[in-house]
Amino acid sequence: MTGSVIASTIPLPSTFDDAAFEAFLAARDEPEWVRDARREAFEVFREKSAEPLDPEEWKRVDLRTFRPENYAVRAAGAEDAAATFGTLLADQAEFAGQVAHLDGRCTASRMNPELEKQGVLFGDLATLVREHREVLEPHLLTRAVRPETDRFSAWHAAFWTGGTVLYVPRNVTLEKPLHSLIALANSGAADLSHTLIILEENAQATLLEETASATVDAAGLHVGAVELLVGRGANLRYVQLQNWNEKVHHFAHQCGRVEASGTLQWTVGGLGSRLAHIHQDVHLDGRGASAEVNGVTFAVDRQLISYYTKQSHNAPDTRSDLLYKEVLRDRSRVVWRGMIRVEKAAQQTDGYQRSDALLMSSAARADSIPGLEIEADDVRCTHGATAGRVDEEQIFYCMCRGLSKYEAMHMIVEGFFQRVFDRIPVEVVRETLSQAVERKLGFGD
Amino acid sequence: MPDFIKYAEPNEIPPNGRKPIIVDELPALLVRIGEDYYAFEDTCTHDGQAMTDGAITDHEITCPRHGARFDVRTGKPLCMPATEPIAVYEVEVREDGIYVKPSA
Repeated sequence: MTGSVIASTIPLPSTFDDAAFEAFLAARDEPEWVRDARREAFEVFREKSAEPLDPEEWKRVDLRTFRPENYAVRAAGAEDAAATFGTLLADQAEFAGQVAHLDGRCTASRMNPELEKQGVLFGDLATLVREHREVLEPHLLTRAVRPETDRFSAWHAAFWTGGTVLYVPRNVTLEKPLHSLIALANSGAADLSHTLIILEENAQATLLEETASATVDAAGLHVGAVELLVGRGANLRYVQLQNWNEKVHHFAHQCGRVEASGTLQWTVGGLGSRLAHIHQDVHLDGRGASAEVNGVTFAVDRQLISYYTKQSHNAPDTRSDLLYKEVLRDRSRVVWRGMIRVEKAAQQTDGYQRSDALLMSSAARADSIPGLEIEADDVRCTHGATAGRVDEEQIFYCMCRGLSKYEAMHMIVEGFFQRVFDRIPVEVVRETLSQAVERKLGFGD
Repeated sequence: MPDFIKYAEPNEIPPNGRKPIIVDELPALLVRIGEDYYAFEDTCTHDGQAMTDGAITDHEITCPRHGARFDVRTGKPLCMPATEPIAVYEVEVREDGIYVKPSA
């Protein structure tokens, strides 16, 4: 092993260079419009890779040990690893449909036939782009996540491997939630899955998505994107629980757009990964649109979990409310950089953002940086951030009442997360997160 | 206990030169001061960012952003705004190269 040269710009990783891209395209049977979009994105990927990343977003995310050339999209025909492993959500509720991806390829896709009759589409993106161009082309990487944002969005747009699509037509309500699993099994596998949800006017749906690793030591890469397009008066509840093992690098561009009177309830769980960086945008595009964003993060060991969030109020009478809660142990680090942006037209806007960090060790570190950019003059925008250690007196008090130190810690952490758990609209997610938190707390600490 | 790992050839790093390396999956810096070599964590404990290009004088590296200084031999912080030490690694100069021992 020899040391590595550090540079602010990177050449294309050998597993994602020109030759790799051509081989990738050749192995996929895709319509011309998809190939053209990929080629354009690849050019942007090349340009962006030669430019430094935006320091405002990336300076706290240490990429010096990240080796993209260690990961590759699996070649077609490679043997699938056994995909029988437990996940947080898969068996926890009755779902109206399930889609699963393993190492970037769809392994299962099913939906209640009743929904199909109502015109709902739910399945693998790689399949649906071939059959439903009219539905997907106007929305795929055009309105929400843009390839030209940075090298990771362009990388994803050039090499996306598949992903989950949900399209709900006008006035259709899905009573039961849907489930999507993104999994990594083989060491060195890259997953570039894309989640695209399109809700037309007055549609309603809930999608629970989770990421998981088959083993604890398979190193993997996820360069993903999530696009949530909520139509006029529609209501989307979307949950993504990131629960990779601690060897995975996770980069994601996630963007929601909400039209007039639409509602988006978005919950993000950050539990796994070695390094995760999520660029999360919420755009409120129509009068009366609202978004609630919840974040639950628990970092341990040397995990680095970073969020770069933006709530954009682009129309009057819009409301956004972001609450992130982070617990850190050991030498972990959590970074949250949040921004509320209010355009001139967005009068009577109500924007709120808050991030609270609880540090369970002196070597853990939380950076919370809230921000406001307000062009309108008749708005209410508030933000706050806190970071603090577990109060020894609280632990002492609990132990005086007969609790063990572990029980006391658990109670304090559970209490810390309670406010955000209370806001999560799906009970099974609340319970699952609560159990996951308990597991991450470990015993004997 | 982890063994020493070779990070540089015998004369690869000129006197007062440096080489960024990865030790224990963490960024580190291998520096040569005269005939002596030192290896330490390349992350300022104040703001958590790299010190790769920081000036080194009298066995002290100065963080290029806020001026925190650390002793490259012990990792001790020498002035504000840093209050926590950086990790230092054992270095061995062998005939065939410069070796660094990852911490246990």
